[in-house]
Parts: sequence; C-alpha cells; structure tokens
Amino acid sequence: MHIMEGYLPPLHALAWTVASAPFVLVGARKVAKVMEEHRETRLLLAASGAFAFVLSALKIPSITGSCSHPTGVGLGAIVFGPPVTAVLGSIVLLFQALLLAHGGLTTLGANVFSMAIAGPWVSFAIFRGAAALGLPQAAGVFLAAMLGDLATYCVTACQLALAFPDPASGFGGALSKFLAIYAVTQVPLAIIEGLITVVAVNILVQHSRDELCALSFLKGGALKGGAR
Amino acid sequence: MLATDRHAWTNRWRFIHPGEKALFVAGLLAADFALPALAVAPQVFWAAYLATVTGARVPGRAFWGVMAVPMLFLLAGIPALALSLNLDGAGPLLSLSPEGLALAAAVSLRSLAAVACLAFLILTTPVPDLLALARRLGLPPALVELAYLMHRLVFVVLERASAARQAQEARLGYRTFGTSIRSLGLLGGGLFLRSLDRGRRLDLGLAARGYHGELRVLGREPELSVKRLALAVLAVLVVVALALVQP
Repeated sequence: MHIMEGYLPPLHALAWTVASAPFVLVGARKVAKVMEEHRETRLLLAASGAFAFVLSALKIPSITGSCSHPTGVGLGAIVFGPPVTAVLGSIVLLFQALLLAHGGLTTLGANVFSMAIAGPWVSFAIFRGAAALGLPQAAGVFLAAMLGDLATYCVTACQLALAFPDPASGFGGALSKFLAIYAVTQVPLAIIEGLITVVAVNILVQHSRDELCALSFLKGGALKGGAR
Repeated sequence: MLATDRHAWTNRWRFIHPGEKALFVAGLLAADFALPALAVAPQVFWAAYLATVTGARVPGRAFWGVMAVPMLFLLAGIPALALSLNLDGAGPLLSLSPEGLALAAAVSLRSLAAVACLAFLILTTPVPDLLALARRLGLPPALVELAYLMHRLVFVVLERASAARQAQEARLGYRTFGTSIRSLGLLGGGLFLRSLDRGRRLDLGLAARGYHGELRVLGREPELSVKRLALAVLAVLVVVALALVQP
C-alpha cells in the first residue's frame, strides 16, 4: 500500500513525516544501543532487514489474477517487536523507493507510518492478545498477520482521504471510496499473507530455535514465549 | 540484479557529486509542488527525462521501465479522485464532477512528474552515495550504518531467493493455489534462516579480520563543483520559467 512520490500535498507529507519520526528515532536508539553492546548483532540485524526487503519483493499469487507482494508486517512484528520493526521497515521502504521507485521520498513518512508503525503495532497487539486468550499459536499468527495487513491498508486509505476529501461528502465519503477501491485486492491479499506467515513462522519455530535465541537480544519480539 | 542498480553504477554521471544531483531533484520537486500542476508537471517530467537519458546516457528503456509500474498505479487511482460520492440522498450516489476530474488530473500529473524525478535520481546515483549524503544531512549514524550493511546483503539474499524459487518451481511448487501458499511460506521462512546464517558467517569472517563495527572503504570522493550546482539551479529556473510563460 505504497503512496507514490508526489501524491500527497506537501503539508500532509510533512505532517506524516513528523508523526513517524519519534517512533523511528526511539527504535533507532534502541537498535544503536543493541549494536553497540553486542557487536555480533549488527550483521544479524542487517541480514534480517535485507530479508525483509527481499520478502516484500516476492510475488504472491492473487485471486484476481494480478500479482502482488507480501508486506511482512506481521512477520516482522512477531519476530522483532514493533520498535525494531519500525527501524528495519523504514530502511526497507527507503530501499523500495531508491531501488524500485516503489513509494517515494516525499511520501516516505506517510508510508512508514502505515507500514512500519501502525501495521506492526496492530499485529503485535493481536498476537499478544490471542496468546493471552489461549488461542493456538497458528491462529494468533494468522490473525496478527492478516489484521496487521488490513490495518496498514485502512491507515493508507485514511491518509489518502485526509489529503483528498470528497467535494460532496467530505472525509467520510472519500474514506469509503478509497477503502472500496482497494478492498477488492487487499482483503484477499491480507488473508493470503496471513496463511503464508503461518507457514513461515512454523518453519522458524521448528528449525531455528537457535537463531531465534540469537535474536532474543531484541526484547519485545513476541515469538519467544510461544516458541518454547 | 536490479536494473536501477546496474544503471546507477554505470551511467555517465556516476562520478558527479550526489549533492549536485540531489539539488537538481529537490529544485524540480519544489517547483512541481509550488506551481499549478497542469502547467509545471510536463516541464518537470521532461526535464527529468532529458537529464536521465541525454545527460546521464541511461537508456530510455530503463527510464520507462522504472516508470511503468507507478504509471499503472496512477491510472488505477484516478477513479477514486475523479468520482464523487454523495451520501445524503436516498442511498449512495456516485457522480462525475468537473472539480473531481480537475483534481484527478492535477494530482496524477504532479505525481507522475515527481516519480520521474525519483527515477532520475535512482538511475544515476548508487544507493551508498545517497546514504553518505543522508548521513551528512543528519540522519542518525546508526541508521545509516545499518542501511549500508543491509544494502550489501539485499543482493545476496535476492540471489538466494531467486535460486530457491527456481528450485521450487522445478518441483511443481507453484502448480496450484494451495501449493503456492505452502511454497511461499517455506521460501519466506527458509530465506530468513539463510539470511541470519549468512549474517552470522559474515560477522565471523569480518571479526577474524579485525572488524570493530566500522567498515572503512577507500572511496572515490567526487568533488562538489560550484559550476554544476549553478547549472542545476539554472535548469530548475528554466523549468519554472517555461511553466510560467505558458498560457
């Protein structure tokens, strides 16, 4: 759900950048501290970020015949926790703009807010909530990834509706327009991404206890509790 | 291998200071946002195109290749802007208004021109150069350091991903919808493990060579040329003038 370069009016672009900055800076401070204290984590973090970029570039099958890409929002939030995901996600979004012209530099703040902040926090909260309710882990992962995806898309629709309110029905009308247009592709995609994330988390839990332990310096990742 | 990356390293303006190219792009973007879109956007678009294709000698095909996907998205977004939704009457009513059409045209043209500026920047400037520029402009050093390492590893992981995908396809992993979901999940999870393993081995290798958290590389530092900075400003002014004299 990238908003393209130049699509948002300058004031909106600036406002979303200001809104995203604190989240990214807090995450960056945390990452910097971890990298300082545990030198060996630098490359693990970099590898995780590179993985996130490549994941977002993989084509996933779509029911409508078009192809699309996973966001990795849920997977990131579950494995790393939201603050670190905000940092890695921001760099991934920057690379998507700089290597693929996907998204943009002026709209980076808005995209970071929807994809690296709002989506991961929703996923994280749902994953935790599902665990607290005693749902099976697979159900939690599925719901977290799917609803995180949907949250991302709702936030993007809000951003667009705020920027371009409908001349007749204002913000509400614009919001329903943007939601309706993207619902056709986004709802099936969210479900598909949920399914894929379940398979991916299963393989991580089965085969990579060690790697997840190595990542346990990233306090806040939600998976460790479930991956015993 | 990504097309943008290849051209970024091989184009004629590769060794021009990134600050000069960034100034040109920033100027074009400012003009694009400040002036009425219908007047300025075509000029901005062609300025970015000419700079990329004539100036930096990047093949026109590469430029259009970068533009193709954003152009499709812009087309898809037009109905949402052009159609107006009225909720007051009996049931929702969609209508096409002149203001809506004008808004859709303005936003789409403005965005198209802005994407062209981005295309110029990424087709002529390698990502590490831009990161160095971002560091000078005040991005936190830890973020920049992480981004450097990530940039290197992205290409390693991309190669792995395409090899793994090919192997899965050869084994009919994407034959039906169900197997596709399963294959993609396995690909994602497996790729993550591979990436971490790769990172860990790289770290070990570097540590054995005395790595202390900073990679010092001897780079070719391009000089900031006042003449070229002035040229960039002049080019932007010409674009603005062309937009203003238009009826």
